[in-house]
Amino acid sequence: MKKYILSAILLGVLSGMSSCSDWLDVNHNPNAAEKVEPGYLFNYVAVAWSGTRTSGDFYIPISQSLQIQADGGDSYGGWAEGNYVISPYSVGNVWKGYYNSSANNLKLAIKMAREASVVNNNAIAQCNVIFAENMYEATMMWGDVPFTEAWNENIRYPKFDSQEVVLNGIIDVFDNALSTMDPSLPSTITEYDVYYGGDMAKWQKLTRSLKFRTLMVMVDKDPSKAEMIGKMLTEGGMIDSAAGNMEFKYSTNSGNENPKYKILEKYFNGQNQAFFAHNNVLKPMQDLNDPRIPVFFEPGHDGVFRGLNTRQAAEEDKDKNLLSSVIGKSLYRKDIPDLLYSYQEQLFLEAEAYLRGLGVAKDAVKANELYRKAVKEACLYYGVEASAAEKYANSLADLSIVDEQTALKNIHMQQWIDLMDRPFEAFVQWRRSGSEGNEYPALEVPATAITKDLIRRWDYSPEEMTANPNSPKSNPNLWDKMWFDL
Amino acid sequence: MKRNLLIMLAFLVMSVSQVLAQTSSVKGVVVSKEDGLPVIGASVLVKGTTVGTITDYDGVFVLTDLPEGSKLLEISYIGMKTAEVAIKPDMKVVLAPDTKLIDEVVVTAIGIKRSEKSLGYAVTSVKSDELTTARESNVLNSLSGKVAGLQIGSSSGTAGGSSSIQIRGASSISSVSSPLFVIDGMPVDNGSYNPDRTNGIIDVGNRAGDLSSDDIESINVLKGAAATALYGARAKDGAIVITTKKGKNGSPLSISVNSSTRFEKVLKLPDFQNEYAQGEYGEYNVKSLNGWGPNIASVQDQKFTDFLGREVTLQAYPDNVKDFYQTGMSYINNVALSGGTDKADLRVSISSTNQTGVVPGSDYNKYVFAINGGMNFTPKFTGRVSAQYIRSDSKGRPAQGSNDQNVLIPVINSLPRTVNINDVRNNWKNADGTQISLTPDGKSNNPYWIINNNAFTNSLNRLIGNIVLTYTPIEGLTITNNAGMDYYNETRRKVYSKGTIGNLEGQFQTWDLYKRIINNDLMASYERTFADDFNVKVMVGHNIYQEEWTNNSVLAQNLIVDGLYNYKNAKTATPDYYSSLKRMVGVYGDISFSYRDMVYLGVTGRNDWSSTLPANNRSYFYPSVNGSFVFSELIPTNKILSFGKIRASFANVGSDTDPYQLAFLYTPVNSYFLQYGLTNVLPHNGLVGFSGPKVLPNENLKPQNQASFEVGTDLRFFNNRIRLDATYYRNVTSNQIVSIDVPLSTGYFANNINAGKIMNQGVEIALGLTPVDVRGFKWDMDVTFASNEQIVQELTEGLTEYSLTSGLSGLQIKAPVGGSFGLYGTGWKRDDNGNYVINEKTGLRETVNNVRLGDIYPDFTMGINNRFTYKGFSLSFLIDIRQGGNIYSETVGSLRYNGLAAETAAGRDNKNFIEAGVIQNADGTYRPNDVPVKSMQDYWQHLSKSGNNEGNIFDASYVKLRELNFSYSFPRKWFNHFWVKSLDLGFEARNLWIIKDHVPHIDPEANFFGPSQIGGGVEFYSIPSPRSFGFNVRLTL
Repeated sequence: MKKYILSAILLGVLSGMSSCSDWLDVNHNPNAAEKVEPGYLFNYVAVAWSGTRTSGDFYIPISQSLQIQADGGDSYGGWAEGNYVISPYSVGNVWKGYYNSSANNLKLAIKMAREASVVNNNAIAQCNVIFAENMYEATMMWGDVPFTEAWNENIRYPKFDSQEVVLNGIIDVFDNALSTMDPSLPSTITEYDVYYGGDMAKWQKLTRSLKFRTLMVMVDKDPSKAEMIGKMLTEGGMIDSAAGNMEFKYSTNSGNENPKYKILEKYFNGQNQAFFAHNNVLKPMQDLNDPRIPVFFEPGHDGVFRGLNTRQAAEEDKDKNLLSSVIGKSLYRKDIPDLLYSYQEQLFLEAEAYLRGLGVAKDAVKANELYRKAVKEACLYYGVEASAAEKYANSLADLSIVDEQTALKNIHMQQWIDLMDRPFEAFVQWRRSGSEGNEYPALEVPATAITKDLIRRWDYSPEEMTANPNSPKSNPNLWDKMWFDL
Repeated sequence: MKRNLLIMLAFLVMSVSQVLAQTSSVKGVVVSKEDGLPVIGASVLVKGTTVGTITDYDGVFVLTDLPEGSKLLEISYIGMKTAEVAIKPDMKVVLAPDTKLIDEVVVTAIGIKRSEKSLGYAVTSVKSDELTTARESNVLNSLSGKVAGLQIGSSSGTAGGSSSIQIRGASSISSVSSPLFVIDGMPVDNGSYNPDRTNGIIDVGNRAGDLSSDDIESINVLKGAAATALYGARAKDGAIVITTKKGKNGSPLSISVNSSTRFEKVLKLPDFQNEYAQGEYGEYNVKSLNGWGPNIASVQDQKFTDFLGREVTLQAYPDNVKDFYQTGMSYINNVALSGGTDKADLRVSISSTNQTGVVPGSDYNKYVFAINGGMNFTPKFTGRVSAQYIRSDSKGRPAQGSNDQNVLIPVINSLPRTVNINDVRNNWKNADGTQISLTPDGKSNNPYWIINNNAFTNSLNRLIGNIVLTYTPIEGLTITNNAGMDYYNETRRKVYSKGTIGNLEGQFQTWDLYKRIINNDLMASYERTFADDFNVKVMVGHNIYQEEWTNNSVLAQNLIVDGLYNYKNAKTATPDYYSSLKRMVGVYGDISFSYRDMVYLGVTGRNDWSSTLPANNRSYFYPSVNGSFVFSELIPTNKILSFGKIRASFANVGSDTDPYQLAFLYTPVNSYFLQYGLTNVLPHNGLVGFSGPKVLPNENLKPQNQASFEVGTDLRFFNNRIRLDATYYRNVTSNQIVSIDVPLSTGYFANNINAGKIMNQGVEIALGLTPVDVRGFKWDMDVTFASNEQIVQELTEGLTEYSLTSGLSGLQIKAPVGGSFGLYGTGWKRDDNGNYVINEKTGLRETVNNVRLGDIYPDFTMGINNRFTYKGFSLSFLIDIRQGGNIYSETVGSLRYNGLAAETAAGRDNKNFIEAGVIQNADGTYRPNDVPVKSMQDYWQHLSKSGNNEGNIFDASYVKLRELNFSYSFPRKWFNHFWVKSLDLGFEARNLWIIKDHVPHIDPEANFFGPSQIGGGVEFYSIPSPRSFGFNVRLTL
């Protein structure tokens, strides 16, 4: 009897185990996919990238530390970033944005596109352009960054490449993309191409323009780039109208709004009480009677536009009404797009190239023509009436009749004004606008800042520093210039 | 003389004979002191003889023909103290329970009952009466201070809030070290799913809190891996084995009622200054919710605009925060019916907990229906069914943490001292339904808007049940199958009504959580005794386990109609769905030998196959061995040492990981993080987005491994008047499945690898004393002591520290190689002599980044329980001690930053305050600080701002009066002619008094981390914990 019972138990246990393997084979995640279209990854990158650019991790620290916007003091915006206190979380989040959310997903999208039954070079090129632009932003914030060894499963600790290597690498990526793009063929990223809907002709122009901008950043340090600049100017094919602007569009749909608006909604009762007109922008605009003033800024309670200096407390009347100007409502509307590259940006750079004779003969008349066109386009972009824009552009001093330095300063001033609401681009532009001490505008270190010199870069991501033995042993100083910055 | 003596002797002998002749038979009844019920089957023996009997169903015994000279009866029953009573013709013997019996039977892993003295590892048993006196709505809290090595943490004073539990320190850097919960042999869930990391966390309780204390017969705490090895991977951090109450075979119907009414008040409120109004640098500003304004007394001749726009003379309201909180009420009731025939038994119970919290508008209601019935179908085949249905709901659980509009504490604590809470309470909404903000610029929510409009709600339905069938085909062989299920469904809703500042358009999110655990154990055991002295017991078993989880959530934003929380009323509704399935199969065996009840040896082995590991690595085996030696058996009976045992055990257990950690997959993204607590959603403009993994999965993961060793002794002296149980243990958990940070430039945040080695070692001491036991007066004292040392021995190559938690104002919890988990963040810069280095421009302390600021775990914990009994009176109190460890308090920081803490009023007008410290000269030398701070506002704000973490770090040690209980059991004889069997009345109190602490303004036990998060030592706007006191009636019919 005992034997039978024990045998029965043993049989039961064994029979339970025999089917055990199948029964345990349930570790297939039903919440995720093994394969997706490259466009789905591309769209996520676009969303996340602009999400970072317009969020409190990026827009606020740069706008405040660059002193292109003011905060109205502690009773209003009170952003510590105006004192050059950049949260390690902002630094970390932005780094993650470039290396993980953007670059890694783009690399995966490229891998998907390459592994597709029919390889689509246009889709690969689209991903590569966005990848290069993300890395351009990364190196403009940190200088030397991992590039040649990053995103490689076989390399555990990527080395940090010099900015020169990174920027040249970015030019190569643009060149490769240009050589493989074929506007006659459709891309597999069309619906999910939130910038141009798969219009590869526009992508070609954009890619050339982005390459051109990169060269313009490099040329002061590496004059040999002038030749490439000249070639590009001669050959053309860059963005040639506002229709070519690269924008990431937001909407009024809840959850799809521009994060700049969301900050105000969440913390400031929907009213802008956090971002103020800085005298660094408002004063030159007022000097020139710039028609963009009522777009860029709101007047004080008494109808007067007043700027502030960095960390300066906003002015109020005796009834606590605000007299200082905040940045305009339209720039904080829900659906304000994230402008990544603009026609006016292109025109300003071209004007500068002709004025300085970068790879082309110096031509102040052409420069002036491009400059006025750029100013007009800049005004139009922000909703100024065409006639007013035209009138204003024509009212500006003719670059061909002033000395080159003044002409250059005037271009940089207009670039600075144009980039008031695009702090990252303004940060790059300010540093490339002149050698140390000769930038436009001449900024002063805020009295309460934690450094004695002007900020020129960010600390590295603490997570990267901790986890990567190939990262620099210590952070460069916030005021240390990077390779391109003379 | 000799003759007289002989006459006297003859007289005495005759007298005695006469007495004996009168009592040659004796009849009596044996009842339990605990519940007044008859004790069935008690042994009644005439002392010094073999004459005896056992009691019948009514506890009655009859002994006839007593031997000559019989004087005393010895009455014994398992689990009760043996009584010796003088023989009388009609006797009533009351047997008291004995929880200290050496040969007590305890429930060990897989429900195996073993005598305590046979165990080679430490098991602590907490009995029903310890859980039902001063009951807690969360039964886990009742274990606090009672079990050495068990740490209970409460993350808030929320009604129905959670309690975390950890045994012998944290063993893992990748997951919470929480023990397995087992009810009647069925592993059950003690999860605490919380989607909020640091922002606006709602303490939604933990699943062990669903249980009713009144349904629990005992809780056995199995601490070491050797104790839990048979449970397999799930119990590497110990096991809490709960046995529910049953009816008794052959006992008549008994009805018991246990009813408590409790009052709850906030235990510790901040100590506020009441001299300064709101403003900045001494100037009044109605927009500033702080205390940096003018001295109230000095501006009595002026009028100021208050938040309601009235022109008022400033006046301090010292109790405005205190008056915000209300007296919480708890009604905990239980009615249980139990009884049985000779073939069947049944217990049915209904428990209710109805609680209102100290935060207005918060409540928690829980109803537990329990049934436990057994049936002897045949002498060889028995069955038992046990089930509990739990229904709970709550409303208004407050939010804690940061960056969320519904977080209450910063709003309450930053009320300016001149604001009358009645004004706030009566003016939270305008006639048109819009909010009345606390500031005229509408930047701060009115707390009553949050309370009245934004109440969080949840409800739970849970069923735990199992069926045990036992067959005994031949003597010694038992075959048992235990099939069970734990199922729950919980719905939650988090609301931000339209008009909430920071979410003006309104938003709500719902979660529909589903979990189901199915478990089946089939076991066969065979026991045989050889040659009287040797006993062998062999057990083999097979286990199937399945865990399903579903989380269905919808985030609805931009509401159209105010107050309507329907998805169709939202402009955007973003659904999310996640499900997981995990399965395990285990085969286990246990062989135990004993020799003469003196030497015991047990060997166990288990092999698990887990679905979460790669097929080639999914099988893992773990052995354990334990032994004990009752050396007192070799020592002649003496008055000093009553019992002595040494024990030792070793175990090596493995464990698996979470589902879906292996394959490289693309996840649809439904939201993305924006700084400042903001998120946006996908699809974006109708287009979906996918992302590759952030953590690079690993297809070659191996099981984790934990080796544990334990040695201990159990000593009893002076007839059990002194009881000492001491244990030393050492656990090493290695090959942990952990996501190790990799350079972000690789494209990933982390890689899933096997790495890391954490050692925990410590001692646990339980000392029991009975200093006084005379004339019915008894004083028992039980002391528990536990000290654990945790050392992170290895991480992985190139990594010297691992961040466990971050995102708390720059504060991080890290695991450093060579140390224990600790708090890291910004600290004060010091010179070589420890002086603060002061900035020569500001006169304020300079800082350094990323320094260790303190330990999160204590050096030791202690519980001292005293119990005095005299006749029916009983008084007991439990003192709970924690020594060592630190806490970071954001609440203290903000009270100081805002100039509201009492200490910030001192010297406020001092224009030349120079802090003790040094200033670094240009040549690197130091000079005493000679720079005054600009103002005391600047000084305090620098000292306490969240970025300067060290300013808000405190010693977390405390001494607390945890529990106080005074009760009276009415004498049974009073009810002899009633249907009442027993009646007890009591006063009970919990968390009555913080006797000593080192943290200002908050309870040092406040903890930001719920049971589902690794960490500790951080407080972030926690809802203050309550003290509770009330009355208890226990009645048995």
